[in-house]
Amino acid sequence: MVDRLSHGSASVSELAKPMSMSLSAVVQHLRILEEAGLVRSEKMGRVRTCTLEIDTMTAVERWISERKRFWEQQYDQLELYLAREAAKET
Amino acid sequence: MPVTNATFTIERLLNASPERVFAAYTSLEAKGAWFKAPSDMETLARELDFRVGGHERFHARWPSGLVTDFQATYRDIVENERIVLVYDLFHNADKLSVSLQTIELVAEGGATRLLHTEQASYFTGGIEAVQAREHGTTWHVDNLVAVIEGKEARAFA
Repeated sequence: MVDRLSHGSASVSELAKPMSMSLSAVVQHLRILEEAGLVRSEKMGRVRTCTLEIDTMTAVERWISERKRFWEQQYDQLELYLAREAAKET
Repeated sequence: MPVTNATFTIERLLNASPERVFAAYTSLEAKGAWFKAPSDMETLARELDFRVGGHERFHARWPSGLVTDFQATYRDIVENERIVLVYDLFHNADKLSVSLQTIELVAEGGATRLLHTEQASYFTGGIEAVQAREHGTTWHVDNLVAVIEGKEARAFA
């Protein structure tokens, strides 16, 4: 998806077309990319257009974005750990 | 050397009581079970002394040869409510940032809302130099995309 966007902006349905996943999975994926600051999207009428933001980010902005993503990933692991601990007790 | 100051916040609703979430931070056994990196990494030092003034360290060598070092000092701890620490992050000999990390736990029904706020000084020159020397300019983007797409990141960073 990032590869496709590196060639220029695209609508959500254009991005979903070559993918083997559902439209909702594509939307979810785009949401994560947007939260990480890698993609920006704009809604015009009924069409949402996505643009890659990476090129406009400085090295430090990318770094900070990655740091945030790193901690998000640690919390995914914390959730799994808490679930395992809860399962041990029951 | 230029410095970039920045703040970010992460908010998560965790399906466990604040007591259980807090307990996940207090021992090396518990914290090591979730605050971790890919298995192909060699741990050089791992320490946790969970008390105000106590230190935490996570020093590791990556398959690429990169050595990362997370060195923290706990500054404030309120049981089941709050943890504040300051950490330095090194890549090889370069100190890349100094961060103030605040973790707040708020009970919400049987769950816990976790707020993670990080206020930091990022040493811009060091970050740019590390990117250029160790990974080339595309490394961070590749790494970030790998993390987002669920593959393992290549570095503890």
